[in-house]
Amino acid sequence: MSAWIKQSLGVAAKDANSEVKTRYALNALGMFVVTTIAIMLFATAGETLSTGTLAGVLWIVIFFSAMAGLGRSFVSEEERGTAMFLRLLAPSGAIFSGKLLFNILLLLTLNVGVVAVFLLVMNVAVKTVSLFLLTVIAGSLGLASASTVVAAIIARAHAKNALYPVLAFPLLVPLVLLVVDATRMSFDGLPLFGEGGRDVILMAAYTAAVIGVSSILFDVIWKE
Amino acid sequence: MFWKTSVIVFLTLVIVVSITIPIGGTFGDAAQRSMLGMGATPVTGVVLSNVDFPRHVITLRDRAQKEGEIVFPSSRDLKPGDNIVCNVTFDAGNMQYDAQKLVSVNPLFTFPLITGLDERARIMFYHVPMSWIATVAFFVSMIYGIIYLRKRNPDDDTKSAAAAGLGLLFCLLATITGSIWARFNWGSFWNWDPRETSIFILLLVYGAYFSLRSAIDTTEKRATLSAVYSILAAVTVPFFIFIMPRIMPGLHPGSEGDVNSGPIVSGQIDSWMRITYMSSFVGFLGMFIWLFQLRVRIARLGAKVAV
Repeated sequence: MSAWIKQSLGVAAKDANSEVKTRYALNALGMFVVTTIAIMLFATAGETLSTGTLAGVLWIVIFFSAMAGLGRSFVSEEERGTAMFLRLLAPSGAIFSGKLLFNILLLLTLNVGVVAVFLLVMNVAVKTVSLFLLTVIAGSLGLASASTVVAAIIARAHAKNALYPVLAFPLLVPLVLLVVDATRMSFDGLPLFGEGGRDVILMAAYTAAVIGVSSILFDVIWKE
Repeated sequence: MFWKTSVIVFLTLVIVVSITIPIGGTFGDAAQRSMLGMGATPVTGVVLSNVDFPRHVITLRDRAQKEGEIVFPSSRDLKPGDNIVCNVTFDAGNMQYDAQKLVSVNPLFTFPLITGLDERARIMFYHVPMSWIATVAFFVSMIYGIIYLRKRNPDDDTKSAAAAGLGLLFCLLATITGSIWARFNWGSFWNWDPRETSIFILLLVYGAYFSLRSAIDTTEKRATLSAVYSILAAVTVPFFIFIMPRIMPGLHPGSEGDVNSGPIVSGQIDSWMRITYMSSFVGFLGMFIWLFQLRVRIARLGAKVAV
């Protein structure tokens, strides 16, 4: 058991190290986030948007930056030719949990930046902070887990970049509905222990279901 | 061979029944709809008496066992005991029912008038079975995907893909019939009602399945990844078809806040309509199985030729 944990932490650490040194993903995603928010600012030009629209915009930015950045965990292995070595070195379960951990960390780090920039720049006050924080964390976990399994599926396909959102979006729709709804409620000031709390619990259930199904299926996807 | 003939017979019967069987309501329906300014309403019932003088009046006992008189503009050759369906309007001034048109005499049976749906209820015999068959097809695709992953027989992958393709076809047909129904019932072809949204997402999910298949070169990898994706996709199907449209408020029957969970699922449907609906469901299921077998056979022959 502890060997398994060490291996998956090793995989995550390897990805994190290479990310810190090259900063491919963070750079690309950072630029993406800045550009998108800038376009939104130009479009709205100071007028106040409804809370529903603001919630939608925030999750557009987060969702598409996830689509732009989270595929790298598996695609880069295939492109650099290191996938075979990885298969030899660690069991598939450890690889899956390592990659999942890395994607979660990457997305959470990214979202801290996105949320900070968004709140500063889009002139929105979060009325229920607890609900908002829980939503961002739970939503990021769900987004990262679905993105990881889809990235594993498309890593061996052609036209990976185009195929990734095509495959990921329909699977993510239940999560997107919940997350936008809960974010809007947190902007509106609804309490945590109500519909917002129910949405967060459903997000956690979605994440658990996705991680459960993908850990069973990952073995099949990963092996030659 | 016998079952294929009976599939054709069933579906033809369903088509004939859904088009020709008249819809007839009660006197109460007619009065209510005339008060709302909705024009003539078909009323069905048994003729009790036919009086020609001084006015042409026919006494009817409608399907709610209520007796009433209908004034006809001219004489009608109807005997007591005849079943008739005629369009009537309720004249509040004279407190009488005026017949506009005699629709049918002694039909085989009639469908009840569902307020709000009227003649549009006929699409139900196509729209609902096709959605159910699409769900069945998606589950068949998942099952063959699981079998492929266990046995690694390429034939099972062929079957999984064939079922997914037919599921996509039936899903598309359900969307189109639903859209036509929405145009006549709610005013526009697309309303982003939760059920419309969820069936659109389902189309995207299985469209993505075929994008994935076309993006992978090696047969084994394609089969493996398609099987994995069909399992993932089939896990989302119950959420999109059974859960999401029922917990969100919307226009479609069975959404949150609606009177019941839809006429078919809750069983509140006239027995003749239920029989017709079941025949349609069985007919389309037979059609699915037939098309599935054809597609699998074609794919097998194609694989043989390609080698």
